[in-house]
Amino acid sequence: MYLELNDIKKSFGDGESRTAVLRGITCGIDKGSICVLLGPSGSGKSTLLNIIGGIETADSGSIGIDGNHVEKMNEKQLSLYRRKHLGYVFQSYNLIPNLTVKENIEVGAYLSDKPLQLDELLKTLGLWEHQGKIPSQLSGGQQQRCAIGRAIIKNPDILLCDEPTGALDYKTSKEILQLIERVNHQFGNTVIIVTHNDAIKLMADRTIKLRDGMIRHNDENTAKISAAELEW
Amino acid sequence: MKNPLMKRLPRELWQDKGKYIALFLFLVVTIGFISGFLVAGGSMKTAYDNSFEKYNIEDGHFTLAAKADNTLIEQLEQESINVYPLFFKDITLDNDNVFRVYQNRTEVNLPCLMKGEMPKNDNEIAIDRLYASNNDIAVGDIVLMDKKEFTVTGFVALSDYSALFKNNTDMMFDATHFSIAIVSDSAFETLSDSGLTFCYALKNNDASLTQKQAADKADDIKDILVQNGTLTGLVKQADNQAITFTGDDMGSDKAMMTVLLYVLMAVLAFVFAITTKSTIEQESATIGTLRASGYTKGELLRHYIMLPILVTLTAAVIGNILGYTVMKNVSASLYYGSYSLPTYETIWNTEAFWKTTAVPCIIIALVNVLVLARTLSLSPLAFLRRDLQHKKKKRVVNLPNWKFKTRFRMRIILQNRAAYLALFVGIFLASLILMFGLAMNPLLSNFKTEVIASQISNYQYILKAQVPTSISSAEKYCAASLNLPNGGEEISLFGIAENSDYVKLPESKNGVYLSSGYIEKYHIKSGDIITLCDENNEKQYSFSVAGSYDYAATLAIFMPQSTFNETFGYEQDYYNGYFSNEKLTDVDDNYIATTITQTDLVAIANQLDDSLGSMFSMVCGFAAIVYALLMYLLSKLVVEKNAQHISMIKILGYTDREANSLYNISTAIAVFASLLLTLPIDLLAMRGLFEVFMRELNGWMSFWIAPWIYPAMIGIGILCYLVVHLILSRKVSKIPMSQALKNME
Repeated sequence: MYLELNDIKKSFGDGESRTAVLRGITCGIDKGSICVLLGPSGSGKSTLLNIIGGIETADSGSIGIDGNHVEKMNEKQLSLYRRKHLGYVFQSYNLIPNLTVKENIEVGAYLSDKPLQLDELLKTLGLWEHQGKIPSQLSGGQQQRCAIGRAIIKNPDILLCDEPTGALDYKTSKEILQLIERVNHQFGNTVIIVTHNDAIKLMADRTIKLRDGMIRHNDENTAKISAAELEW
Repeated sequence: MKNPLMKRLPRELWQDKGKYIALFLFLVVTIGFISGFLVAGGSMKTAYDNSFEKYNIEDGHFTLAAKADNTLIEQLEQESINVYPLFFKDITLDNDNVFRVYQNRTEVNLPCLMKGEMPKNDNEIAIDRLYASNNDIAVGDIVLMDKKEFTVTGFVALSDYSALFKNNTDMMFDATHFSIAIVSDSAFETLSDSGLTFCYALKNNDASLTQKQAADKADDIKDILVQNGTLTGLVKQADNQAITFTGDDMGSDKAMMTVLLYVLMAVLAFVFAITTKSTIEQESATIGTLRASGYTKGELLRHYIMLPILVTLTAAVIGNILGYTVMKNVSASLYYGSYSLPTYETIWNTEAFWKTTAVPCIIIALVNVLVLARTLSLSPLAFLRRDLQHKKKKRVVNLPNWKFKTRFRMRIILQNRAAYLALFVGIFLASLILMFGLAMNPLLSNFKTEVIASQISNYQYILKAQVPTSISSAEKYCAASLNLPNGGEEISLFGIAENSDYVKLPESKNGVYLSSGYIEKYHIKSGDIITLCDENNEKQYSFSVAGSYDYAATLAIFMPQSTFNETFGYEQDYYNGYFSNEKLTDVDDNYIATTITQTDLVAIANQLDDSLGSMFSMVCGFAAIVYALLMYLLSKLVVEKNAQHISMIKILGYTDREANSLYNISTAIAVFASLLLTLPIDLLAMRGLFEVFMRELNGWMSFWIAPWIYPAMIGIGILCYLVVHLILSRKVSKIPMSQALKNME
């Protein structure tokens, strides 16, 4: 397995108000696959994503990515790890308001020694015509595409998407999912998508369903369909 | 690859142009003025320092009761010195101003001709440039002196009179009522000898003597002159206020201006830091994403402090260009308005460049790094969650059961306490500057009033020899002057006649009475023993202090005439002066050493008024700018920080006026409270600074603030805020309701 999680535990709060969010997560994800983390609110899926992304630390357990152990890294090493290996996409696009589309994507390119070809990516993202616009001149879908562009331009090994379609309508959500799928095919990144939309699991190679901080299902998807075919 | 975040900087600048333009202009003006001040000061100080060699300034001078004979001169010159006669005649003009007239100097204390020509004919005169300026005299004008008309052919600066002290013992120089003048040798002979003083300048043959060696030599010379018995005064160069006061004052001004610059920079640095911190809070989620993507804290910190540093650096460069061009002349005119300085050449000032360019950038960078590094040290997740509190649990401040609006406003104040704290510090500083600008003129007027009220008599004569008068109001007294130990300042001593009409001393057989200023300046109490020195005879005198006497003009000691004569070993009926409310018309001028009038007593106040008067209104204007700038930037910050909430309460149905009353009135309360609370602190600070300033001078002026200044300061502060309030009200009105909807996540 490319990504291996072993008995990850995480709690929040102190004393009586202490709540266990992850109660021993063990799983693995293959390189270049799309993995969907499903679950209701409070199930721990975003916390798990943040632990994989190194922006949150687990109380115990280990996270191995291509043989490197994230839990042993100090803050500086974590920064470098994120810089080299990870791309992040959030529900709220978090673009820099006074930079153009192209420049926002360049913000990601700056972090890599060998970024992807920017013009080509802009075309892939369908943002070629909009590259000179600032985020406020774009629709929600376009902004999310820009955020995806910023995340993948550095060609990360893993693309972490936290509710990437949470703020979008049906049509735009499908467009974004198609884009993620295309990116996965084109650049071979491992993609982990956190969502509460059950339909999205159909486009994934693997679905991990969480409830109350534990894995309820961890299924390989043998009947994978393309994002374009998704319905909900 | 160049960091793409850099591309934000010009846009950031443009988007927040109001803030940056205001800060930039303020920085340019402040740095420009202080750079100009330091450059002009440095150049003039260099010219002043070089003048000692260039104009061959004396190492000291002495005055004799009679012309020195050749034997004495030869005896003195055996001490490896050169002696140059520099006789002068003090001539009182019809307007009671005094000209100290010299023949042209060719060997020592050379003049610097500032304008026109040196006098050649018997009816020509060159006078001091500053006196001419203060009295609106132009080259070519006629002045009446010693009942003769003289044409002013030129303006000069005498190197030994860069500060126009008439007597070395004067509290302050007086460039309005006293001037040096130069006439031809033959014209000098024609002038009345009544004010003739046999003055000799001396110059050590060995120019490399240390200050101690020069002082020892001066002591040897004094011994010879004391033995000769005609010595009336000896002043070493280091003790000569007319020579040294200017140089000392230039140094103290420089330190004061540098401190002012640094304090202003620190306040501006906090303004930059707080506004940038607010930007970071607004961009929290984006920062979280960048940090999650691999941007380091250092990269983001560098990004956020870049703009403040660039703005400061640009302002410093432009400020320095202005400093070397326009502002230099403003500052030079301030110096030329105070002192009779020779011409100067502008020279590169590395120290000024360092202080006005590098140090401001360092202060801005340092304060911003300190404030922002803490904020940026939060985890990426904290930024993503917009949870920028360092403390885990936020403590809720419980408010009393006030009305809703009051509690709401109090919450705004608590939410923005860092901004309001910076506002408080800024208002404290601006109020201090304003208090200085407003208070000095009334303070000087008050001093004059006090001096006049406590004036002993309209005319105070010091005689060269005892001479009777038939003027009934004249009253004999004794006068002397001694110094505080170790070359300290001079104290006047008065021996007062029994049952005096002019000085009513309480009946006390033990001790002397000190003028109120003396008591205040040196913190002396009744019963203390004070020791004074006669530097000419190297004798010491001790006095027991019986109390204070209300006399504001100088530092003085009053005692019965009998005590005075006993102390100094004079006959019981000895006197050397008259107090009189009328002019002593029957006393020949040749018997009068000095006549002290009201003009002489208020010279210090007049001089400060002349040299700094125009600056006071400039200072008030500057303070108002600081007020308005800080109020604008920090109030704007509060509105911008709460734009989302303002938009939301508008959606709920609040009118623009109501939104304004909630958010801007909170700032108004903070401004008003700061104005009130800083007032007593400013008063203490001002008193402290004034006392430090006065300790540098001879004499004493009591600190006094005119009562109208307090409401005036509050009024000016409120007026500045009203302007800011109008701008902010428009800003609140312009916040659209759609903002809250757009940014909902």
